Amino acid sequence: MDNFAIHPVSRFAGTSAAIRRPKEIAYFSYDDKHDFYLDERSLRYYYPPNIGADLSKGFESFQQLDDTADDHLDSLLKTIIDLERRTGTKCAADIITWRGMMTKIMATPFDNMNGFEMNATRFQVGKPKAVVASSPFIEENHEHKLESRKAQHGQPSRPGAPSQDLMSYWGYKFETLSLIPDQWNSTPREFIERREDMVVNNYAQYCSIVKTGIGKARLVIGGEVDALWDCKPENKDEPINWVELKTSAEIENDKDVLKYERKLLKFWIQSFLLGVPRIIVGFRDRNGILQRLEEMETKDIPGLVKKRGKGTWDGNLCINFTASFLEWLKQTITSEGVWRIKRRERSPMIEVFKTEES
Amino acid sequence: MGVPALFRWLSQKYPKIISQVIEEKPEDVDGQQVPVNMAGPNPNGEEFDNLYLDMNGIVHPCSHPEDRPPPATEEDMMVAIFEYTERVVNMVRPRKLLMIAVDGVAPRAKMNQQRSRRFRSAQEAKQKDEDKEEFLKMLKSQNGGDLHEDAAAMVQKKTWDSNAITPGTPFMDILAASLRYWCAYKVNTDPAWEKVKIILSDATVPGEGEHKIMEFIRSQRSSPEHDPNTRHVIYGLDADLIMLGLATHEPHFRVLREDVFFQESKARTCHICGQKGHIAEACKGEVKQKDGDFGEKDRALADKPFIWLHVSILREYLEAELHVPQQPFRFDLERALDDWVFMCFFVGNDFLPHLPSLDIRENGIDTLIAIWRDNLPLMGSYLTKDGHVDLERAQFILDGLAKQEDAIFRRRRETEQRRDANAKRRKLEEQNRNGQKSSNGNSRTPGGRRGSPDYSSPANGVARGGKAKDPVFAPPNLPLFVPGRGELTKEERAVTHDMIVNRGAVYKANAANKSVAAALKSQFLGGNQSEPPAIGSNDVSEKDVEAEDEQGDVAEHAGPTDTPISASKKRKAELMEDDDAGTPGRDSPVAGKPPVDSDEPPPDNVRLWEEGYADRYYETKFHVDPKDIAFRNQVAKSYVEGLAWVLLYYFQGCPSWTWYYPYHYAPFAADFVEMDKMEIHFDKGKPFKPFEQLMGVLPAASNHAIPEVFHPLMTDEDSTIIDFYPEDFPVDLNGKKFAWQGVAILPFIDEKRLLDAMATKYPLLSAEEHARNEKGRDVLIMSDRHPLYEEIATNFYSKRQGAPKYKLNPSVSEGLAGKVEKNEDYFPQSSLTFPLGEGLMPNLEEDHSISVHYEMPHSSHIHKSMLLRGVKLPPPILDSADIAATKGRANNSGRSFGGA
Ligand SMILES: [Mg+2]
Repeated sequence: MDNFAIHPVSRFAGTSAAIRRPKEIAYFSYDDKHDFYLDERSLRYYYPPNIGADLSKGFESFQQLDDTADDHLDSLLKTIIDLERRTGTKCAADIITWRGMMTKIMATPFDNMNGFEMNATRFQVGKPKAVVASSPFIEENHEHKLESRKAQHGQPSRPGAPSQDLMSYWGYKFETLSLIPDQWNSTPREFIERREDMVVNNYAQYCSIVKTGIGKARLVIGGEVDALWDCKPENKDEPINWVELKTSAEIENDKDVLKYERKLLKFWIQSFLLGVPRIIVGFRDRNGILQRLEEMETKDIPGLVKKRGKGTWDGNLCINFTASFLEWLKQTITSEGVWRIKRRERSPMIEVFKTEES
Repeated sequence: MGVPALFRWLSQKYPKIISQVIEEKPEDVDGQQVPVNMAGPNPNGEEFDNLYLDMNGIVHPCSHPEDRPPPATEEDMMVAIFEYTERVVNMVRPRKLLMIAVDGVAPRAKMNQQRSRRFRSAQEAKQKDEDKEEFLKMLKSQNGGDLHEDAAAMVQKKTWDSNAITPGTPFMDILAASLRYWCAYKVNTDPAWEKVKIILSDATVPGEGEHKIMEFIRSQRSSPEHDPNTRHVIYGLDADLIMLGLATHEPHFRVLREDVFFQESKARTCHICGQKGHIAEACKGEVKQKDGDFGEKDRALADKPFIWLHVSILREYLEAELHVPQQPFRFDLERALDDWVFMCFFVGNDFLPHLPSLDIRENGIDTLIAIWRDNLPLMGSYLTKDGHVDLERAQFILDGLAKQEDAIFRRRRETEQRRDANAKRRKLEEQNRNGQKSSNGNSRTPGGRRGSPDYSSPANGVARGGKAKDPVFAPPNLPLFVPGRGELTKEERAVTHDMIVNRGAVYKANAANKSVAAALKSQFLGGNQSEPPAIGSNDVSEKDVEAEDEQGDVAEHAGPTDTPISASKKRKAELMEDDDAGTPGRDSPVAGKPPVDSDEPPPDNVRLWEEGYADRYYETKFHVDPKDIAFRNQVAKSYVEGLAWVLLYYFQGCPSWTWYYPYHYAPFAADFVEMDKMEIHFDKGKPFKPFEQLMGVLPAASNHAIPEVFHPLMTDEDSTIIDFYPEDFPVDLNGKKFAWQGVAILPFIDEKRLLDAMATKYPLLSAEEHARNEKGRDVLIMSDRHPLYEEIATNFYSKRQGAPKYKLNPSVSEGLAGKVEKNEDYFPQSSLTFPLGEGLMPNLEEDHSISVHYEMPHSSHIHKSMLLRGVKLPPPILDSADIAATKGRANNSGRSFGGA
């Protein structure tokens, strides 16, 4: 077993390691039945919702995806296999994973409360005759995921406060209120105006798969993106104007500021990893009524937190931590098989050990 | 679209929408003119992205200015246009795009108005030339055949026919070539222009200038890459450009125009000799004073200040005004704004006569807003949606207006009678005053010059249902004789043009008084001398003079025109005496009183203020049986079609090139019935060819602008369409004061007969003429230093040529969406020459600009009246007091406050 020391985090301070702008290399969609398609049918566009909308509306008819089954990296793998088949070249990377895993890793220096457990697998994608060395795939340890979710939901909510379920509905509802299926020009007015009455369904997703790099590590990351701001550029090398949608409680006191700043850390990392340049936050009151919208540019968030906020986290430090950790991980996971990457709550280190020989 | 008095109404009701333009002017340093550096920051403290020029608003005043002598040649006109355009561009300093849009062939619906304007304009030009000729004779006989050369030359110069400003004429060809040259020249020589893309849409591209601009803005909005915070400025003369601005739903939008309230105390030029200081009726053909006019000829126009009209601030006002408390559906400002624009159409537009009961001067728009506010809960939603009118809901508005119609007419009558009484009283007082003073013939009514209104003060004097201002107004310092020519003899003083030429019966629409000239004339002719030559009570000072040509409503507040009522206008009016069509309305003599003499207007047989007016109206105006109610409803149905057409035209683009309102008059609100059962459908059709439009709108007198092969169609007695070109035609005052505000009764053009007749002549056209009749395309011009140049040049002119149609990459074009195509007339790195020779403008050996055809993106979707995502509204300008006042006024209107 090998350990990677998180502390002291100060050793990761300073100018950030080299980062490569994420570039979309492939994508897939789940439709509203959660069926998988190698196309962009679930790509959505952003058009702002009406202020004053009730985010609780339609809670009872929420069509929620049951994700208790472990579907591993299936969709990601299928898409990469297709990509390799189409291009005839191997999709080479040091790590291939979901955006969620990278988010947990990257937030580690400033997140003491949450642990994680991941499995890293080294195996060959596609035809066995591929010559290039296999890339390690990282996915969440499914049992751990279910357990920690249970723990979270088990927490009693404050009396009178909305339930965890309702609050997570607010997030989906906000997305439904803010999305249109086509560019604004081609979307009928009636659709835009009827969004408040639409049934909320979180089955459909568009997932972007990007190539990026942090420090010396080359990464392929897949993750859901909420919406397009304008359209995909004709030139594939130009960045895509993705939009990430988030909701947050209105900030009323100092405690809220801290809470919000911690949220911003997640918002920033998630968007940073997939190259989402713009985040739109819907602020809601305690009853889930949408109060206002705030548009922010991802790249500005660390600066905002540093200069105008309480400075509870440092973006560069996250990047440097991640660069160091990935570099270390690359050297640690040397042979094929399944490896566990684990951090316990409040632990000062990340443990890596092999669980299975291939 | 010119809505007379709209600008004044807007600026009084919504005073904060206007602010002064801060203009940097060229400086004189040691006798050298240092031009404005457009690259420098905009002195208005804000930068703009796009400037749109509704170019006819520049071409008209530069080619036949009102306040200075006209340019001597067409080359001079072009130079005047360049100078003026440059001044406007320097005010705005667009950083991304300049669009120059010249009126192309207009939809049929507009041609009726164009035809009427051009027929009158030709009639007037002819009249002016005749006047000059007669005057010349008169001068010769006066001075024993001795006449100063200059004076003779000036008088003899033919009036330039502004009808040449119509698509398809040789003049428009010259204009297009000149503008292409000038844009390239600026791009080559002015560093600030290197960064600007220029779209030139000349007269060969169909559509009215401002609507081509609207189409462009809509096309960009439909492109996902369009920056919703683009700062737009449109220059033009029509106040209703502000409505087009609203209709774009782009909040960062301004209209730029001259401050027409700003008056200098100088009179306009005489239309006979082109000099300042006297009116035509007083023209004596004096030699031009060299020191004055030439030296300052450009100053007069150059010095007129400009103003901004802020669409964003109008949005704020309307947000306060159109929000109805407790309305049973969500307030949507964008849709409320569309409804407001729609209601403005009722009060005046270029395509339909306004409803008899709605007049902007009587706050007709407020009347409609009050009805709209009252009925909003009943209608259940807005009247319009994305340029489509809901007829069932529109019925509520017209029903509401119908209830008030009788009362409006009666009130109008009362107001007029009161005003006439006041005018008479004032006139008497004045006569008394003049009698007491010396009879030097130069006394004036104290009135003071009319300056710019104080925009900082709140609107005043806009009483509901009343007149915005006292229409009887003293003309500002109108000099009768050439100033500083004290050596004139008494006889010389007395002999003026008008006295000679205008012997016939002089009809004056102004019933209140005789004009100066008329008074002089009566003296000269030895007639009744009881009326002294008083200046100051003439109605010309009523500034709501409707624009006579495409100069929009600029004249609405203009100072005194060159003559109180030009002779030709009087002539036109004379014609009316033979026309038994009466004139309902305001300035008619007391009912029953027969016209005493020709100075009185014809009798008003309609008398809107008396019961049974509708019967009389349809009988007199439409010549139909008063019992024929179905006819009235048919007229109303056509009118509804018209409203639907105009709304689509504004919000979606021309719905039909061929549709038009086939009557000279509007129906009453009460005639609109069962609107919910009406089905409205437009056939898109296609625009006329330029020559077809020319034949459709020009009178025979302007045939110099039309290829010769068509001339016989306009003049030969056996031409199958000779009836389209009457020499004389009646003008119905229709309740208005002045002949030029009246309705020209011209036959409507029958498209099929016109085209059939022209078809026989088409084979006879020369190749050059054929070319002038072709549909043209928009052109995109830019410097070879512009980032976009590389892409385009590589695609079209490198060894590895790309597709013939090249889609612009918005990240390189700064958001400009569309396609470009190679322009076969353009050769890279050739020389640039001024097309008119003459040496007035320099030639460049190597042209560092590129020119390609530009095609806007076409969307097959309805353009939605919505704000775009990402738009950041400008910080509010209105304070809580403004908003409270606006809300208060709105709440105190309508049903519960005396309205029906
Ligand atoms: Mg989201």
